Amino acid sequence: MLTTSERIAFVLIALASLLLTAHGVSRIVRAIARGQGRPNWGIFFRRVIPVSLDILLQRPIFRTRPFVSLLHAGVFFAFVFYGLVNIFDLAEGFIGFSTLHRGGIAALYNLIADLLSVAALAGMLGLLIRRFGLRPFRFNERVLLLPSVRFGISRDSAIVGGFILLHVGSRWIGQAVRVAESGRPDWSQPTASLVATLFHGWNEAALTMASHVTWWLALGLILAFLPYFPYSKHIHLFMAPLNLILREARPLGQLEPPTSSDGTLGAERLEQLRWYQLLDAYACIMCNRCQDVCPAHGTGRALSPAALEINKRYYLNRNLAAFAGGATSPPLLEIATSKEAVWSCTTCAACVRICPVGNRPMLDLIDIRRALVNRGDPLDPNLQSALESLARYGNSFGKPARQRARWAKELPFTIKDARKEPVEYLWFVGDFASFDPRMQENTKTVAQLFHAAGLDFGILYEDERNAGNDVRRVGEEGLFEMLVEQNLAALEKAQFRAIVTTDPHTYNALKNEYPAYGFRVPVYHYTEVLAELLERGALRVQQPLRAAVTYHDPCYLGRYNRITAAPRRIIRALGLELREMPRHGENTYCCGAGGGQIWMDSGGQERPSEQRIREAVALGDDLRYFVVSCPKDMAMYSDAVKTTGYEGRLTVIDVARLVASAVRIDGLEPESIPVESEAR
Amino acid sequence: MTIVVVMEQVPDVVEELAIAPSGTDLDRDAVSYVVNEYDDHALEEALLLAEATGDEVVAVGIDTTGELDQALYTALAKGARRAIKLTGDFEGTWLSTRAAARLLVPVIQELEPRLVLTGVQAPDDLDGQLAPTLAALLGWPHASVVIGSQLVDGAVQVRKELWGGMTMTLELELPAVLGVQAARQAPRYVPISRVRQVMREASIETRDVETPGDLAPAIMRLRFPEEAGQAEILTGSASEIADRIIELLRARGLL
Ligand code: SF4
Ligand code: SF4
Repeated sequence: MLTTSERIAFVLIALASLLLTAHGVSRIVRAIARGQGRPNWGIFFRRVIPVSLDILLQRPIFRTRPFVSLLHAGVFFAFVFYGLVNIFDLAEGFIGFSTLHRGGIAALYNLIADLLSVAALAGMLGLLIRRFGLRPFRFNERVLLLPSVRFGISRDSAIVGGFILLHVGSRWIGQAVRVAESGRPDWSQPTASLVATLFHGWNEAALTMASHVTWWLALGLILAFLPYFPYSKHIHLFMAPLNLILREARPLGQLEPPTSSDGTLGAERLEQLRWYQLLDAYACIMCNRCQDVCPAHGTGRALSPAALEINKRYYLNRNLAAFAGGATSPPLLEIATSKEAVWSCTTCAACVRICPVGNRPMLDLIDIRRALVNRGDPLDPNLQSALESLARYGNSFGKPARQRARWAKELPFTIKDARKEPVEYLWFVGDFASFDPRMQENTKTVAQLFHAAGLDFGILYEDERNAGNDVRRVGEEGLFEMLVEQNLAALEKAQFRAIVTTDPHTYNALKNEYPAYGFRVPVYHYTEVLAELLERGALRVQQPLRAAVTYHDPCYLGRYNRITAAPRRIIRALGLELREMPRHGENTYCCGAGGGQIWMDSGGQERPSEQRIREAVALGDDLRYFVVSCPKDMAMYSDAVKTTGYEGRLTVIDVARLVASAVRIDGLEPESIPVESEAR
Repeated sequence: MTIVVVMEQVPDVVEELAIAPSGTDLDRDAVSYVVNEYDDHALEEALLLAEATGDEVVAVGIDTTGELDQALYTALAKGARRAIKLTGDFEGTWLSTRAAARLLVPVIQELEPRLVLTGVQAPDDLDGQLAPTLAALLGWPHASVVIGSQLVDGAVQVRKELWGGMTMTLELELPAVLGVQAARQAPRYVPISRVRQVMREASIETRDVETPGDLAPAIMRLRFPEEAGQAEILTGSASEIADRIIELLRARGLL
């Protein structure tokens, strides 16, 4: 029980503290509301329960780093339960209510509070040791960081960590003091009772004093911390769930068209971002997981998705009154990230997938690109000529459209012209598969497999255009729309049941982007079709293959569209031994070509594709094949095998070539892949 | 003040060219047109000059292809303020450089620019006569093979390329005509959405001109170059190569 003057003091301090906190929170809300668009509160009620359940189970956090996530879970569960604990403790201070030495539900409550206190203390200590000792926060030196961030991150972590330690620790010791006061251990508070033995021999006055001090340290501290809370990383407590709940159910592979404000398409300044991109800054817990998986940062480029969010947050915090009041922010390229960083994103979406609080730093980068492109900012010369070629010829190779289907002339049969006769599958071949001389062999193999399996398929010949996936992600929305219009006009002329594509980027555009333009047709990747043809016996394995292989999931197939099983089904059906790289499936690592990077000069010290080849080589000396299912991967990894010096040891091969080798089609030169001998 | 850029469209050689049955012309139905590369540089240089001084860039062209609008809209989207196209009955003719210059002069005079820029050459003006001819007809000074320029009170300073990697800087009185080899920086990219917006909102001014009948060259025969002999690259030490050269010259009776 508190004294009367203590009670009055507490109430007054609480009022002041709540007022200050409300002031901070309202500023943050007004700042976020300056973003473009408005949340759809309709989905709030639909999603609040399932998402809360996810959060209670800590699902978004456990996607990676199992040990750290366990520490977080300890702190998290304690924190949730401490809501209740704080209320009871308040009641104890004010009206003398106590659960000490009670049985039944009160004992259960005591036990949980007791154990969770220890879990929280251990978890918090673990997290602090990790952050300050084992794995301090680091960015590579090319990353743009606001000066306030450098020191701010550690300070914020120290304050929040210190607060939790002090708050929980004081409460825990406070309970021990109360146990000691009562003169006998409380079996429902085992750890507190243990600590209580330390207070043996303290006289009553000392114990009463200690009980008051710990009460104030536990609850008074909350009042002291509260006004700082909105500006601390601790606000993720509210912002992260809000972010996860209000997230529209949009496929990862579908972008929203750029916003347009004050004549700017995309985002040049903070207030031109969408509201949820500003919320991202406050949801960010600065865990750096996104940076760990970012291929651009991993190859020494200036991009760190974490730094982007943290910069936004620190800029906002330092200029909150002005920004919330309507002041224009400086350009994002001065406060959030650098131009080099913006142009080194591969749009692999690894950051989006991994982020435990549902942030999407990639979208900011794309919006900044949109603004740069539309303002006429000078582009990388190779990118510019790719875009000019796409606008003029519909492909990035600077080749006339008429040459698109030239590869098909070398086949022993004619592929149906889907514009002239109905087909079951319309094969949307894609630029790289059509024009890159290194890829045309694969393309012909796929055609021959389809043909041998009796698949009814056709192509659009010279009317096919680049589907525009990467054009959109480079920020050239107008060109993207033009390509969509041209493709839709061509598709209109054809009759087909479904689309099959060779290129995962094309797959993503047709599947996720085109529906917004009224195009709704089933889309398949050729690995899905090949797997099906093998399984239903339309293609028969004549010669099972025998080799150890690994398979690389393309970002736009594995991560964006979760097609991870089909290629593996093929590999197994051929009799090959599949060894997984540590990063596979939805956690795959980018080859470095996406988001238009394939058209740009990489400024990194090493290419992501080279790191990937090393990852594969580490799977064993006897691993022979690096299997791909994307024409761009074929190009990237064939180069990377050469530059890393593993040529001859590891062969990059398209999954279709393996199939061709095992099914033995007349007129198709099989690869020399070791086969299961007849006798075995 | 005004800077005029003279632009021309030429056949896109990325596409396969075909010769018309007449044997004296390209099969124009199969041809698609692009802006002459050097004219694109002239436009970029003009825009850079104008950005520094606040001048107004006017793109001017003779519509010999029927598709010049596309080029002019792109110029407007890049930052030109006005676009003027000269139309006439040009179908089936290749306008000579002299004829083109004659058609352009009245428009240029009317616009009273302080500078006229055009590409140093074009596939149909390989000896780079357009800029000097315009200058002669206008009576203005001129410089060709320009690779950079700057307006300084009442004059233009230009850098032009000479031979052997040498460049020369000279100052011309205004008004003047420049044949541009390369702009200071690569021609800018113009986003498609801006081109489309310009096509909706801006308009191209049209002037009808008389077709100069006598000045088009008479083409007797048009054909693809025949494949010549192949080159051989000599390798080995200097004396081996020298021996081989002597041997080759002897074999051809040149020594
Ligand atoms: S999308 Fe990929 S490359 Fe871009 S910031 Fe995220 S992780 Fe990095
Ligand atoms: S954006 Fe997400 S993953 Fe990246 S640091 Fe912030 S919370 Fe962590």
